[in-house]
Amino acid sequence: MLGSWPSLDPHNFSQFKPNDPSNPSKMTPVTYNPTHDRTLSPPDQVIVPEEKNILLRHFYQQAEEKLQMGAKRALSDNPTPERASKLPRASASDNV
Amino acid sequence: MFRSNNVAARIFERQISSPAPGTSVHCARRFYENIVPSHTIYDIECPDILFRKFSDDGNYLVTFSRNHQDLVVYRPTWLSFSCREDDCLNRDLPSKASKFESFFTQLYCVTLAASGELICKDFFLYSEKNQFGIFATSTAQIHDAPAVGGAIQGIPSIEKITFHLVRLEDGVILDERVFCNDYINLAHSMGVFLYDDLVAIVSLRYQRIHILQIRDSGNLVDVRSIGEYCREDDELFLNSSSQGMSIPDRNTAQNIGNGLESIHHMPETSFLSGLKQRLLSFILRGIWNEEHDPTSRMQCLKKKFYFHFQDYADLVIWKVQFLDRHHLLIKFGSVDGGVARNTDNHPAFFAVYNMETTEIISFYQNSAEDLYTLFELFCDHFHSSSKNSFYMNFLSTHSNNIYALEQLKCNKTKASSCQQFVKKMLATLPFNCQSQSPSPYFDHSLFRYDEKLISATDRHRQSTDHPIKFILRRQPNTLKFKIKPGPESGNSDTRTKKISSFLFHPILPLAISVQQTLFLQPAVVNIHFRR
Repeated sequence: MLGSWPSLDPHNFSQFKPNDPSNPSKMTPVTYNPTHDRTLSPPDQVIVPEEKNILLRHFYQQAEEKLQMGAKRALSDNPTPERASKLPRASASDNV
Repeated sequence: MFRSNNVAARIFERQISSPAPGTSVHCARRFYENIVPSHTIYDIECPDILFRKFSDDGNYLVTFSRNHQDLVVYRPTWLSFSCREDDCLNRDLPSKASKFESFFTQLYCVTLAASGELICKDFFLYSEKNQFGIFATSTAQIHDAPAVGGAIQGIPSIEKITFHLVRLEDGVILDERVFCNDYINLAHSMGVFLYDDLVAIVSLRYQRIHILQIRDSGNLVDVRSIGEYCREDDELFLNSSSQGMSIPDRNTAQNIGNGLESIHHMPETSFLSGLKQRLLSFILRGIWNEEHDPTSRMQCLKKKFYFHFQDYADLVIWKVQFLDRHHLLIKFGSVDGGVARNTDNHPAFFAVYNMETTEIISFYQNSAEDLYTLFELFCDHFHSSSKNSFYMNFLSTHSNNIYALEQLKCNKTKASSCQQFVKKMLATLPFNCQSQSPSPYFDHSLFRYDEKLISATDRHRQSTDHPIKFILRRQPNTLKFKIKPGPESGNSDTRTKKISSFLFHPILPLAISVQQTLFLQPAVVNIHFRR
């Protein structure tokens, strides 16, 4: 169809071959080939939408934060109990 | 980029350019700025019915007979007439325009309430997918009912509440669910929440949340009952272990409670209900995690938990809504507030509960700033709408609309105290199901209107004699249409208090306004439509 249209230079579109239904186009769609493997996704990765909506995610996140704040406070307030709990593992600390 | 207000120019614009990604509905909605219900037919002759609302897809107008016994459903059509004169557009409308039947065709009239029962005129939930409607009928309320069989003292009792599942296409009653000697808040569908095909019914009297599923075949199926038990097999487990326990302890078990009916039934006085146990252990663990020094931890627990233990244990479920298929937002409060109309002075708490894992995810007081922040940012998600209802996803709230957000911020600065403002805002949670009209005329990006006189929320309002103006939000900020309830010449009697309610069709430029006095005078019904 495009081949017979008038154009400025008669040699334009000379290499154009119209679509032949008996000979399907062998063009492959443009794909992205990564040039490095730093950001390769794992081969079995499946992307699915998040089940929980954003509001629920925030509720869960707030609950997590409260737990973590409590745990952090435990670490900062009381270093001695941690050392006490390491006593039974004297054999492991010997190697260090 | 200048947008023309001319409808022909807009149609041409629509033909040649595609809207920005994700805004196709918003772009299509802008045509509602041009097509407005500007013509009013005052005091239309209509049958003696009580208007409820249009279904959310616009296919049905649901009304009840004045005696609260029958359901009458109409199909909204449009006024059509022929005119042989030359200048048809400027002629007056024919006399049949002032008849209700020109706008609505009656589909059927079905009796829902048996003798002694009345249909709750404020209750209607619509399942868009199957075009099913849920209605409620109840017998009279009994105050000061004795607290027997696990009931809470202080909550009234209704002898029989029936929920009817009706196929609106033809009026066939598909299924019913009866609750006897129970109390469910039916006004404005407060005690029931519909999400997709799941229905949550809050039994205030027995403190249970019944989850039902609406099947495509039209059956109502019990899914679970949360309250006394959390998991489906809790009751079986407790009964089987009580059977093993009760044989040597038979005498003591019979002596314990007067609520004991048989040896196999666990006495109510010995265990707190399953949900209450989840809640109390969540609160305890939260306070436990805050402190790590054993002495200060015990002090903290004594002050924050054990001192208030009985208050926490006495909390009752007030209201429930779905956040998604597995999560519920439950509002707890004291017993007196459960049936009170004004709950501002009663303390209230919110809990997010996961039905599948039976865990409480979070717990907030009604003055919690972090819950208010989530409410301000994600209000849309509290109006949880299922994937099936398309138009309900485009309600104008302060989370998706800058004008509504400005209004909210303005109210916040005007409030006397931040904590009072937060309490007032959070008092609207959990939302009533399907209480917002999806009509584009309530979209704050399109029109500016007085929210005190009219809004998307389905409530009766005080009526004024002045018409309610809808002004274009965008340039040139002109007045587009007015909605005036009541007779054309205004009311002769200005002393009696009048209330108005408005029913907007979700899609067509058609609205009904109903003005009633508090006495038994007939209501004045106006139809507003685009001529």
